Amino acid sequence: MKNIFIKNKYNADSHGHFEEYGGRYVPEMLIPALEEVERGYNEIKNDPVFMEELMDLFHNYSGRPTPLYFAKNLSDYLGGAKIFLKQEGLNHTGAHKINNCLGQALLAKKMGKKRLIAETGAGQHGVATATVAAKLKMKCKVYMGKVDYDRQRPNVFWMEQLGAEVVPVEHGTQRLKDAVTATLQDWIENVDDTFYLLGSALGPHPYPSMVRDFQTIIGLEVQKQLKEVYEIDRPDFIVACVGGGSNAIGIFNPYLEDEKVGLIGVEAGGKGVGKIGNHAARLQKDPKIGVVEGYKSYFLQDSDGQLQNTHSISAGLDYAGIGPEHALLWKKGRVKYQYAADKEVIAAFKLLAKKEGIIAALESSHAVAHAIDLAKKLDRNKNIVVNLSGRGDKDIFIIAKVLGDEKWKKFLKEESL
Amino acid sequence: MKKIKDQLNKIKKENRLGVMTHIVVGYPSLEENKKMIQLMAETGVDFIELQIPFSDPMADGPMIMKANKESLDQGTKVRDAFMLMREMSQKIEIPLLFMGYFNTVLNYGTEKFCHDASQAGCSGLIFPDIPLEEEKEENFIKHTNEFGMNSIRVLSPASTTERIKKNSEVASGFVYFVGRKGTTGAKKSLDSLLEKNIERLKKHIKIPVAVGFGISNATHVRSLVGKADVVVVGSALLEAYELGGMKKVGNILESIVDATR
Repeated sequence: MKNIFIKNKYNADSHGHFEEYGGRYVPEMLIPALEEVERGYNEIKNDPVFMEELMDLFHNYSGRPTPLYFAKNLSDYLGGAKIFLKQEGLNHTGAHKINNCLGQALLAKKMGKKRLIAETGAGQHGVATATVAAKLKMKCKVYMGKVDYDRQRPNVFWMEQLGAEVVPVEHGTQRLKDAVTATLQDWIENVDDTFYLLGSALGPHPYPSMVRDFQTIIGLEVQKQLKEVYEIDRPDFIVACVGGGSNAIGIFNPYLEDEKVGLIGVEAGGKGVGKIGNHAARLQKDPKIGVVEGYKSYFLQDSDGQLQNTHSISAGLDYAGIGPEHALLWKKGRVKYQYAADKEVIAAFKLLAKKEGIIAALESSHAVAHAIDLAKKLDRNKNIVVNLSGRGDKDIFIIAKVLGDEKWKKFLKEESL
Repeated sequence: MKKIKDQLNKIKKENRLGVMTHIVVGYPSLEENKKMIQLMAETGVDFIELQIPFSDPMADGPMIMKANKESLDQGTKVRDAFMLMREMSQKIEIPLLFMGYFNTVLNYGTEKFCHDASQAGCSGLIFPDIPLEEEKEENFIKHTNEFGMNSIRVLSPASTTERIKKNSEVASGFVYFVGRKGTTGAKKSLDSLLEKNIERLKKHIKIPVAVGFGISNATHVRSLVGKADVVVVGSALLEAYELGGMKKVGNILESIVDATR
């Protein structure tokens, strides 16, 4: 059995502070609920039965371990370092999100909660939450900004099929951050029987640490697979996309104290990082510290501290904040944060599909885009692991639109008749 | 600090409930804010919260969220809130407080924010998303007190006895008790456990208790006479404004103030 609860020097203190970041900046009425989650989280850390159940779900329900695949065609084509892909897209529901959902839902169940609530942006976390709720026989309500709700109809449809109630959030900008607010407000009102299943390594303590731990399975498997399958002690680089940062922190975590491994997070460069509103790159130009949604970290905000709109071709990276542990890893220089623009992401998506027969999610294609650049600059004896956090089936509407596929347009027209 | 205390003493002497009302700075406009504050003061309100609009007002319900957003969309800045505070604190006698979210303070610089707020005539600060646990990092209560303002702690029915005690050690002026689990917003009836919850709170809180969240009419207010010290009316007045403008606000205010005696 794997120990997903790793201790290292970047861990938060007992109040959830990653040095100056993180914490628990919430109204008094949420504190008892968070304390209850924290107690539950601390208890399961030493509960072999919990671990056994979680590993069983990982293995038999979600399909773990996901393969670590040597992308030989792509590596040969680029003529540089070897690229390995951690195939998180082969999980049940198509992305790493399920790791965290299974962990938290199992914890909720242990705590005697009957109802799961969640926020979702594009709908991936919502679908994963609705999935585990069905599996664990719990009620489920998912909040989604009205804008996302309208443009992500397929995911809304699936969530409903899975038995969840999906609520369009009509306040504020009607996007992910407003869905977070609505979920917190539901929690405040229904704290007795409800568990907030937060989707990324952010929010108030203990979520950033807890979500990281449930995603650490990714990095642990990479360690084992590199050794056993490829006889590689450690990779030279690990590259992962960073929205809130859960897939990245999950694959980085076992390597944080191994300084020989270069860790690279890739943010959404959107239409260019020069202008606020055009991107979701929080750590590129004069990052600005703030306290929003219960935690302290870097946020895209204006001179008055108001959160700003973001843009990315990938809905999963389209978010103004970044998990507090990433803020610390950035400040310490342990992880380097780069960005990839929408155009580079589409090019990377196409290249990977053509060379390897893998349709990657647009989020994960950010990591691929950076790895392509990096591989070219390195020798063949260097190894890069890319976290392919999700598969791209969900992005068919966006990609077909961006590529201007005429037959697809015709198909949509005909289907709508 | 004296201003809030004096007003509380006055309320006690007059043997009635105090009334705190709420406006969102810049909603519907700064000019309407001024008229409304004036009206509130003239009708006999004891305290007014001026909420600094924020993009992510986590503890607020639909009405106040909408007001926050519309105010920001119209371009309201934090400096407008300070200007409004400065102007109105000179025009009216009763204490004015700032309410808002901590990112506004952090972004401004916590010490500077407290200094400037005090200079502008602000008597107390109500920032619900900065719990005691973060005080060591932020020194928010420390600076609030340092510049002669009251740090209004916000407690809820979910607060454990331990947390009530902890907060009672640093609270000053009065304690703001959120009467129900949930967000701000006018409700038809008050929480059935409200009375018990206030009693529980009062065992440990020796300063006056203001009760808010969901209070929308004179009947609610009357039911709190002898139990709470101050009632807070927020969303209900905004709703009244939407329905019937300043006149309707005036009517509701009068009936609420009447019910406190």
